[in-house]
Amino acid sequence: MSLIEIKDLKVHYPIRSGFWNRVTDSVKAVDGISFNIEAGETYGLVGESGSGKSTTGKSVVGLEKVTSGSIMYKGKDITKKSNRNHLDYNHDVQMIFQDSLSSLNPRKRIEDIIAEPLRNFEHLSKDDEKLRVLQLLDIVGLDADALYKYPHQFSGGQRQRIGVARAVATNPKLIIADEPVSALDLSVQAQVLNFMKKIQREFGISYLFISHDLGVVRHMCNNIAIMNRGRLVEIGTRDDIYNHPLHIYTKRLLAAIPETNVSQRKAHREARLAVEQVYREQQDKYYDEHGDAYPLVQVSPTHAVALPEALAQQIVQEGEVKA
Amino acid sequence: MEENLNKHSNISAADLDRLTKEASEEATPSSAKIIWNEFKADKPAMGALIIVIGFILFVMIAALFINTPKMMETNIMNYNAAPGSNGFLFGADTGGRSVGQQLIVGARNSIGIAIGLTLISSTFGICWGLISGYFNGYIDWGMQRVYDFMMMLPMTMMIIVLVTIIKNYNAVTLTFIFSIFYWEGTSRLIRSRTLSESEKDYVAAAKTSGTSNFKIIFKEIMPNISSLIIVDTTLSFAENIGVETGLSYLGFGLPIQTPSLGTLIANANDPNNITQYWWTWLPAAILIIILCLSISYIGQVVRRSADASQRHGITD
Ligand SMILES: Nc1ncnc2c1ncn2[C@@H]1O[C@H](COP(=O)(O)OP(=O)(O)OP(=O)(O)O)[C@@H](O)[C@H]1O
Ligand SMILES: [Mg+2]
Repeated sequence: MSLIEIKDLKVHYPIRSGFWNRVTDSVKAVDGISFNIEAGETYGLVGESGSGKSTTGKSVVGLEKVTSGSIMYKGKDITKKSNRNHLDYNHDVQMIFQDSLSSLNPRKRIEDIIAEPLRNFEHLSKDDEKLRVLQLLDIVGLDADALYKYPHQFSGGQRQRIGVARAVATNPKLIIADEPVSALDLSVQAQVLNFMKKIQREFGISYLFISHDLGVVRHMCNNIAIMNRGRLVEIGTRDDIYNHPLHIYTKRLLAAIPETNVSQRKAHREARLAVEQVYREQQDKYYDEHGDAYPLVQVSPTHAVALPEALAQQIVQEGEVKA
Repeated sequence: MEENLNKHSNISAADLDRLTKEASEEATPSSAKIIWNEFKADKPAMGALIIVIGFILFVMIAALFINTPKMMETNIMNYNAAPGSNGFLFGADTGGRSVGQQLIVGARNSIGIAIGLTLISSTFGICWGLISGYFNGYIDWGMQRVYDFMMMLPMTMMIIVLVTIIKNYNAVTLTFIFSIFYWEGTSRLIRSRTLSESEKDYVAAAKTSGTSNFKIIFKEIMPNISSLIIVDTTLSFAENIGVETGLSYLGFGLPIQTPSLGTLIANANDPNNITQYWWTWLPAAILIIILCLSISYIGQVVRRSADASQRHGITD
């Protein structure tokens, strides 16, 4: 059994307008997605800005009111608040937020910030709690003198570490990492990612790793889902996605990864333009008449793509011929 | 978890005391200390603080030694006695009553009502705004309709009507009557800040940390809008001194036998007093101006200390 099973999840935000302030339309932030997260793995969720990644992540930690669908954890549907309370759900599932500054209360000292989940879920004695906080700070590489300081006294990278320390405080089974490094510069990104991996090894945590950057995801994730306008367009292992992409949207995302090798820049640029060309010409082939993605079809045990059955087979064969 | 942490961190229970001590040496000063430093760095603000606190303490204590019914007895002999004559330092009014004593008791009454009114209406307005802004949805919708209804009522007229209907009212009842009508402004202000504050991720983080809504509202969000609360409260305190004074001036505040700054200023209704007997009303007017200006100046300093980038005082 998987750790988390998401089934046909939908989150629609109502748009109210008119004199009576009635619901006239809705934003389909998440529109029917399904995937499973296994214990101990890092699952990547990738898509451009506004595709509904954060909304998905927030639904999984229970911050978002879900329109329909289910999220199963230990055999219970945690989209219901009563089930979450019953399971002490957030003891096991925590979140690292995209914006580290806004996610730390500016009026609280670091000790109180990191101890917050401990106080609510574990009820330790004062000394045990302080010791636990000091150990957590040590693990994320911060000195003990951070204890009585306020968030604005730290750099972006240090703040994100504090966010990580808070998320791991209760030793959760799953952490939703919502673009944990997108606000950091490259060298600090690598640092934070490395110790997120280290913590994963040491504590056996699963991540739902949300990012818009396939370059970062490659270093972190075994399984990846590609999200586009509230739907999943492709699911697969790292190899499936990076070496055998099928959907045009995935190919575009891959083409957008910057090429660091100078000698290949020209070739890279040409490849990107070619993908762009195909995207413009064949868009209606890849999306249905409303511009939405098709339902997923399985092309291999690990790999699924949102295309009509026939087209999917055709693209797979083309790929094999090329290879 | 515990074994896990002990395995991966070099810190153990033995280091606890030492590390705690190190950390407290590096600790950031508390906000009370920061505010105090700010006052020390700003001499006029310190002056305003001393004036306001000193004056309030003085009238509160001095009023205890004044026999009000006796003070309010009319005495024709002292009709409009000039300051310094007949043993009246501040003179006497048309009824021959000591202006100096009336100032003390009147200021006590006016300030007392203003403090009570500020405490009740601000507390209520702050809670209303916080709750309404945090739970946007049906709760917010309902609370805002109540707010709209209260705003529709003509406030001054309602107070006048209530004061006329209620036969025996005193300073306490008057404070409660005022309070019914003075929480709306605060609540709207607090609600709009709470709405934007609730969107921030630290509120989401508190939710996923298992903190209850009640605690999130009062322990997470409220400290973050504390500068707004303090400034709004000091300014409404200054304003509330004016509320009672204004209504007493119009004759709908405290009963006649109870002196207040408003009844003293009402002496200026008589053209004779304005031109010849200035001591019957001018001191009260000057007092109100000084009080209100000092209080709003204090409010500004407190706001400045809440906002790190505007501080004058050195904190580290
Ligand atoms: N509270 C809300 N009310 C209405 N619409 C919302 C709300 N929150 C999000 N949306 C909409 O839902 C869509 C998905 O938003 P979401 O934040 O999940 O995107 P994202 O993939 O995380 O983007 P980014 O990479 O920029 O963080 C967007 O179109 C957004 O405008
Ligand atoms: Mg996002």
